[in-house]
Amino acid sequence: MYEHVVTQWIIILILALITIPATKNMKVVPRGLQNAWEAIVQWALDFFGGALTEDVAKKWAPLLATFFLFILTSNYLGLLPGAGTISGFVPPTADWNITVTLALIVFFAVHIAGVAENGGLGYLKHFVSPNPAFLPLNLLEEIAHPLSLTIRLFGNIFGHEMIVGFLVLLAPFFIPMPLVALGVLTGLIQALVFTILAASYIASATGEGH
Amino acid sequence: MLAKGLCAIGACFAVSIGALGGGIGMGIGGKGAFESIARQPEVAGDVRTLLFIVLAFIETLTIYGLLIAFMLFGKIGAI
Repeated sequence: MYEHVVTQWIIILILALITIPATKNMKVVPRGLQNAWEAIVQWALDFFGGALTEDVAKKWAPLLATFFLFILTSNYLGLLPGAGTISGFVPPTADWNITVTLALIVFFAVHIAGVAENGGLGYLKHFVSPNPAFLPLNLLEEIAHPLSLTIRLFGNIFGHEMIVGFLVLLAPFFIPMPLVALGVLTGLIQALVFTILAASYIASATGEGH
Repeated sequence: MLAKGLCAIGACFAVSIGALGGGIGMGIGGKGAFESIARQPEVAGDVRTLLFIVLAFIETLTIYGLLIAFMLFGKIGAI
């Protein structure tokens, strides 16, 4: 009943087991695990910070990189042997409670970023730009963005689990294999798209969207 | 019994028509991406990133249809 929560703890454990040895006794010239982890983190910061300006990117890049690594690990946990919605442990992003939590974090991060960069009144002014007739559209976008983030992530991962589960019941050993390979691609793309959209929403709230 | 049948037919149409529109849209997007990369190979990295983002947007609408189908499918047993 609580498989999603326990699997999230497993994800925290996995990420901590990779990060803590990589950042212990850090040297100026990196070797080994620190080198690999620096490459991953540098790629993530460049890729997601490309949409934001320099100082905003420095402030919000840790959150975006955490989103990417968490969602990537969670999607890939569903491809290991022993996982599945029908019997076995479940990737947490296959439950829409967890994806709505991630989308709510993005929602609050957007508003906090906008107020921190532009001040309260400047941020409210961006709701009525370029024209006050845009106000209902902007308000509707504020609701539609987190909703579409949840449903996109949940639908992709849960749908993949459901289809692979049915195929495993129908035709056991070889038929689900192409779909599991597709799941590798889909997991990466969904993690990427969630984070790119979060970065783009933060960019438009801090005034870079023009 | 009629309600169960209608739920099943509704689920089928939800997935099919959602996937139809999504497939056509993704084909048009991919066509634009191929042509722009063929015209100017230096922008391949940027176009590839933008293509993935656009495909994920279009796929969201297809996933909405799939989720409605799942919900209807679950309702069949409850009726």
